[in-house]
Amino acid sequence: MLALSLVLNGIVLGSVLLLFSLGLTLIYGVGRIVNFAHGALFSAGAMAGVWLVASGVPFGVALVVAPVAVGLIGVLIDWAILARIRDRPMVDSLLLTFGLALLITGILYELGGRNVQIMPVPQVLGGVISLGGISLPTYRVFVSVLAIALTIALILFLKNSKWGLRVRAANDDPEMGACIGIDRERLMHSVVGVSAALAAASGVAAAPIFTAHAVVGDKILILAFMTVILGGLGSLRGAVVAAYAVGLILVFGEGYFGGQLALMLLFIVVMAMLINWPRGFFGEGRTE
Amino acid sequence: MIATTLSERRVRSRGGLVGLAVIAATGLCLPFASAGQPFLLMLASHALIAAILALSLDMLTGNTGLLSFGHAAWYGFGAYVAGLLSKSVSSDIAVLILLTLAATLLVSGAVGAILVRQVGKTFAILTLALSQIMFALVFVFSDITGGEDGLQGIPMATFFGAQIVSPATWYAILLGALLLALAGALHIRHAPLGRAWLAIRENSERARFIGMNVTLLKLISYMISASLASLAGLLFVLFNGATSPDLLHWLESGKVLMYVVLGGVGTIFGPVIGAVVFTLAEHYVSSFTDAWLIYFGALFVLIVIVAPGGLFGGAARIATRLSARKPGRRAAQ
Repeated sequence: MLALSLVLNGIVLGSVLLLFSLGLTLIYGVGRIVNFAHGALFSAGAMAGVWLVASGVPFGVALVVAPVAVGLIGVLIDWAILARIRDRPMVDSLLLTFGLALLITGILYELGGRNVQIMPVPQVLGGVISLGGISLPTYRVFVSVLAIALTIALILFLKNSKWGLRVRAANDDPEMGACIGIDRERLMHSVVGVSAALAAASGVAAAPIFTAHAVVGDKILILAFMTVILGGLGSLRGAVVAAYAVGLILVFGEGYFGGQLALMLLFIVVMAMLINWPRGFFGEGRTE
Repeated sequence: MIATTLSERRVRSRGGLVGLAVIAATGLCLPFASAGQPFLLMLASHALIAAILALSLDMLTGNTGLLSFGHAAWYGFGAYVAGLLSKSVSSDIAVLILLTLAATLLVSGAVGAILVRQVGKTFAILTLALSQIMFALVFVFSDITGGEDGLQGIPMATFFGAQIVSPATWYAILLGALLLALAGALHIRHAPLGRAWLAIRENSERARFIGMNVTLLKLISYMISASLASLAGLLFVLFNGATSPDLLHWLESGKVLMYVVLGGVGTIFGPVIGAVVFTLAEHYVSSFTDAWLIYFGALFVLIVIVAPGGLFGGAARIATRLSARKPGRRAAQ
């Protein structure tokens, strides 16, 4: 019984993680940037969502407005800051996004992020769903469904739209993509924007579960990093599988050994995995 | 050709000696300048610890190009191990240093053996994860580490029975440790080991092709770097008498990285100066605003964009250019 309940909770965590890591994978695929500021954007989304709901905006609207706002901030960040180091060595992009993480965290602290803010679960989604003796809060089911739906929508969009075609082309070979006339600057602006919006969307959606404060995104960022490494850096389907693997490992670890040890367990699993399969589940991750 | 390299090397190592002498002289003058202001000496002591920590990260990043985003892991590791040992085994600083270093070498060797096989980005991500794990460990064993409250009540350090009490003595120990570490770093830089590291930093594939054991060399660099960071942690905990999990937080890793980036990666003196400048600046900025993280982050971003070589890196480039002219002039005479 406990195991089944843990499986369900693992799937919930995995879904949130999936939505969050997709942005990380996307920005890595096109820009070859490991975005350390992704967790700060998660926190920004969560805090914006809580603030909107607290000032009377319905939850459903906040779920759209906060990601769009953070997405626009993402575009602004790319245009103003990330664009400055496009052709610099890889080290600079790592340092830059790390600095951005500090900067955004600092700003969030000043905007009231020092205190933990609670986001009430919207009334429609309150209550508990019981299934054969196992009960799961309705809201968790909603979050999983939402995350899975958004993920599928994004993948379909990547497969079927002009924008998706450009993203995939730039992902496979940025230089060749530029040669056949893909405007790398504009594409990158949009990719960073979408990636930031996805981080914020998972932040708002998870706020009733994880609460909201300036560093709420720290832990999920580490989990997402584990996810993209397990799945292979830049591999989309790898990230999908890995997100659920990480979610399950973490929830089972928490269930049987307690919260902090679970993180250690995950780290050991990832390290063990790297010895033999440094390119992730599908062997298509980049190593550079 | 050989002659020029030799003279070049002599010029550079002379530059290193001059740098060492300047730091030693400045460091020695400070206690006299700060007479009657015990707080200033305390601040300077903290700056020295930061400088050792910065140097430790530069031993890794500056030498092999591996970028660690979780260097606080080893700083905190050293602090907690030394703190726990001094409470349970002995408060003799020599014993503590030996035991802590042994523990660090053991653990960093095991972790590093897997880490250094990863390239660039994966390495960076895993180091950040490692520091989070160390952070989490403090809470797992909160009954012995004190958890959120930190490790308290660490006995005063002794040296062969004599207690190390006065702030001035501590300051001297810290300054001595920094100078020793600097001398060691400078020596290695010009020794075959340091040359091999630089080859890996510039092009690790070529280094492998000419027959270097790249993984082993990286591991050595990682272990030395971790040991020095853990030594900084040890000095911190004994000097401070207590430690908190904040030491392991990623903000702390960010600070160390900032020291190195501010000073200039791989310049040895740069990160040390960066650490001192930054520690002083942090103290004065945080005394009139608590939003210092914003300034800190903005400065970080700005330096990476505008001056990727760091402040000292820029100055060092000019100095190299100037000193590069000298041998030519001498040859002409």
